[in-house]
Parts: sequence; structure tokens; C-alpha cells
Amino acid sequence: MRLAFILGEIGTGLRRNLSMVVSVVLVTFVSLTFVGGAAMLQQQIGQMKGYWYDRVQVAIFLCGENYGSETCADGAVTEEQRADIEAMMESPAVAQYIESYVYESKDQALGHFREQFENSPIVDTVTADQLPESYRIRLVDPEKYEVINELFSSMPGVDVVVDQRELLEQIFSIMTVASFVSLSIAGIMIVCAVLLIATTIRLSAFSRRRETGIMRLVGASKLVIQLPFILEGVIAALIGAALATGALWAVGQFFIEGKLAKEYPDTAFISSSDVWIIAPGLVALGVVLAGVSSMLTLRRYLKV
Amino acid sequence: MIRFESVTKVYDQKSRPALNDVDLEIDRGDFAFLVGPSGSGKSTFLRLILREDRATTGNVYVAGKNVASVPSWRVPRLRRGIGVVFQDFRLLPNKDVFGNVAFAMQVIGRKRHAIRETVPEVLKLVGLEGKERRLPHELSGGEQQRVAIARAIVNKPGILLADEPTGNLDPATSVGIMNILDRINQNGTTVVMATHDDDIVNSMRRRVVELDNGSVVRDESAGEYTAMIPIVNADGTRELRPAKGIAPAAGGQAIAPFDSEEDEL
Repeated sequence: MRLAFILGEIGTGLRRNLSMVVSVVLVTFVSLTFVGGAAMLQQQIGQMKGYWYDRVQVAIFLCGENYGSETCADGAVTEEQRADIEAMMESPAVAQYIESYVYESKDQALGHFREQFENSPIVDTVTADQLPESYRIRLVDPEKYEVINELFSSMPGVDVVVDQRELLEQIFSIMTVASFVSLSIAGIMIVCAVLLIATTIRLSAFSRRRETGIMRLVGASKLVIQLPFILEGVIAALIGAALATGALWAVGQFFIEGKLAKEYPDTAFISSSDVWIIAPGLVALGVVLAGVSSMLTLRRYLKV
Repeated sequence: MIRFESVTKVYDQKSRPALNDVDLEIDRGDFAFLVGPSGSGKSTFLRLILREDRATTGNVYVAGKNVASVPSWRVPRLRRGIGVVFQDFRLLPNKDVFGNVAFAMQVIGRKRHAIRETVPEVLKLVGLEGKERRLPHELSGGEQQRVAIARAIVNKPGILLADEPTGNLDPATSVGIMNILDRINQNGTTVVMATHDDDIVNSMRRRVVELDNGSVVRDESAGEYTAMIPIVNADGTRELRPAKGIAPAAGGQAIAPFDSEEDEL
């Protein structure tokens, strides 16, 4: 009986305050979409890190003719120097950091280059001589790049040691900035949502002051008096969270899976199913925001 | 049932207290009128019983409990034992008669079959059988007040507080309301009624507690009350003066609107 009664009260409240409820729904929808967007960007960064860190290697580029660096002053790398470098990599002190390494000759480098820039006219102008030989090293722990750099960069015959991860870090930092921007927009929108929920509950409490006055007098408990108001805010926020989840899923399904993943097949993208990891968080956030703001409003504007 | 022990209530430190050192006891089953001019403390008296306010000093006991020591989450339980009726009825305009009365049971979680059984009984008690489906605006003032009374007593409270229940009604309708309150009192409910209506107090011959400036100035078991007495001045003009503190012989002649000598007997 009491449950049916409370549900009835909520229904009346929502109907009476329809325009305000709709605006609460929309504002929570937008703010939670931004929160979810930030979360999806972070997911994407995590995904790409996992994907690329397995493939990205440390490259030791060897000297060719007329390379400018100090260690290449003696001209192209010699067989001896190459043997020294390999011996260094095999030595127990260094081998513990290295999972595996491969030698890439100028011809192989050209092959990879052609593969990578398949559709670009630049391919035809590049010859094998223009590309350096290199050792591609996969590290046991990618963070230990500095050790390799120190050991090899000063060796004769080594032009430069490059950690390819650094290139990715730039992309990741751009994405991180984007996710922070998204989060700060979300923050502002959440403030809007909280204030709007507070105003809505206040209006609702005002328009139902006769009912609540009588409820107080006949001895209805605090819970029965306040619950319809709190649930009103929570339900509006829940609808907003559901819409936000739907929007994020649509972005995942149609934009990421349908467009980006097809255009960049060699990049790992999150899929629309990853949204389901974010969704419970969005719902919880919406419910907590609505619940807390309506409770605080009621404490001030609804005497019990 | 209701006991005030040297109760003082101060709303604003600068002005005089709304209630000043009031000692009073109203027994179970009593019917008491609370009379006095506006601002004399009648409403404060009722609010203290309901624990809408707390006494500044002194203790208020309702049904044996000191209301100041009732924790706030138990206040609803305290209020379930008290019914309240107001001058302005305070019905819900969008609910019909049955719905208004049932509302008081719904919000404290009564079962549906209990509501279906009790509400018609109470409506019959207040003389509204057959009007269950009317909306408040389709009822006369007297009928609306009956609905309000039905709502106040539907949960069988031990105490009924009425704050000028006949204030908006004509004398004939008021008599009907008083009959209902009397009937409720006969069933064992303690009734405390604040009023300005001299005729009602005088015709009911019940206990009268008169408040003035926050103090009890009179408490009679079967008293009468006169708010205003017409005075004929020495120069022949007439005017109405507050009844208290007028010595009949002092310069004018008091004309009492009723025969006060009968009361002495």
C-alpha cells in the first residue's frame, strides 16, 4: 500500500512539474555524456597503449655514409662495429633487458617503408641507400629504454637510438588533454544539473506544500514525506543517464566502429561494448548527484 | 492527557513571551475551550502540544510523554495520536471526500482494506454519507469542515485539537460542527478547541481556559466567555470594549448579552 501510494505521489509530481523534469533530464544527459566521453577517451588511450607497446620497439639506427653525428665520423658502419653491437646485446648485463632483437638491412627497411606509405607518391623517390640499417629491439620492460640509450648511443657505428614510444606519448598526451577538457565541461554541466535539480525539487515541494503539511500533521514519517521528492529527482537523473549511455553507445557503434575502425584498420579502437563498462558509473553518478542535491534542498525547504 | 508545567515560550527575545509560565492540565476525555484575544498565545499553546515548537522553559507532557524529549524521528508517532482541525479546512482540492480522508491513512501506511472499512464509518460519524465522491469545491463550508474533522479523527487519535474550527462558518452551521465535536468527545477523545465564538462557549458549558498576553487568566470547569461587552458611556454613546477588567459600575453600565447570574448557580 505504502509503495503504491509513494509511486502515485511520484507520478503526480513528475506530471505537475513536467517542463522542469524534462530540463533536468536534458542537463544530466549532456553532463553525463561528457563524463562518459572523457572515460571513453581514457579507455581508448589504454587500448592503444596495450596495442602499441607490444609492437613498438627501440630502434638502434646504424651509421651510413656521410651521416652528420659524432659517432658516424668514420663513415658507414663496419662489420666489426656491427659485431661489437651484437656482442653487447648478447652480454649478460644487457641481455636481461632485451627480450629479442632483429637486424633490419637497408633493403628490408625499404620494404617496410613501401608497405607503410603504400599510397603515397613519395615511395618511388626513395631508394634503399637513403634508409639506415638498424637493430630493432623489443625490451622486457619498455620503461627501461634509458639503459639501452646510454649503452648504445655512444658506440662507434651507432647513429642514434630512438624510442618509438615517445612518438606515441605525444598522441596520448593530446588525447589526455581532450579528456580533461571533456571532464571540465562535464564539471560545469554537473553544477548546472545539481542546481537545476535543487530548483526543481524546491518548486515541487512548494507546489505540494498542502499535501506535505497534512502529511506532517497526521504523523507521516519523514521517509514517506521526503521519498517522493528525492525519487522524482533520481528518476529524472536516471533517464538522463540512460540517454547519455545511449548516446555514447551510438558514438561507439556508428562513429568508432563504423567509421574510424574501417578507415584505420591497423589501429586498435574501443568498441561500442566498452560503453557498458562506463554505463554503471554514469548511472551511479547521476543517482548520487540527484539524491544528494534533492536531500540537501529538502532539508532547507521542506519542514518535516 | 495534556500537561503544561510552568511553560514559557519566547519567539523573540526582545518582545514579551508568547506563553508565560503556564501551568495547566487537561485530563483524558476533557472538552476544553481555549479563549482569548488574538496574540494571547492560543496558537502557541496548540503548536507546543504538536511539537511544532519547543517550549523555551518548562515541560509539555502529551499522553504521559515529555514532548521535548521525544527524538525527532519519533515525532510522527506522537502526531499520530493527535488530530488537528483548522479554520481554513486545509483539504486537498484535487482529491474527493473519500480521498481526503483516506489520505491520512495512506500516508501512515495503513492497509487498503482497513481504509475501505474505516473511512465510510468516519464519514457517517460526521454526517457525510453519500458524498464520498464530491470534490471539496462542490461542498459547503460546513461540509468541508466535516471532511477535515473526519480526516483528523480517522486514525483514532486520543486528542483532537481544533483551531477556530467555526471561524469561517455561520452560527447554524457552527452548531452542527459543535455537535460533531461533542460526539467525538463522548467517544472518549480529548478535545481542545481554540475559539473566539462566545455563543458556542456559552452554550456548550464546558471547561474554559482564558489566555491573555501569554498567561492563563481564568480556568473554569463550566465557564462562559465574553470577548466584547457593549458599554453605554456617561454621555450616552455606545461602544464595544474588551470584557476583561471592566468594572460594571465604573462610569458606565455593562450590558451583558446573556444572563450571567444563571451561571453562578
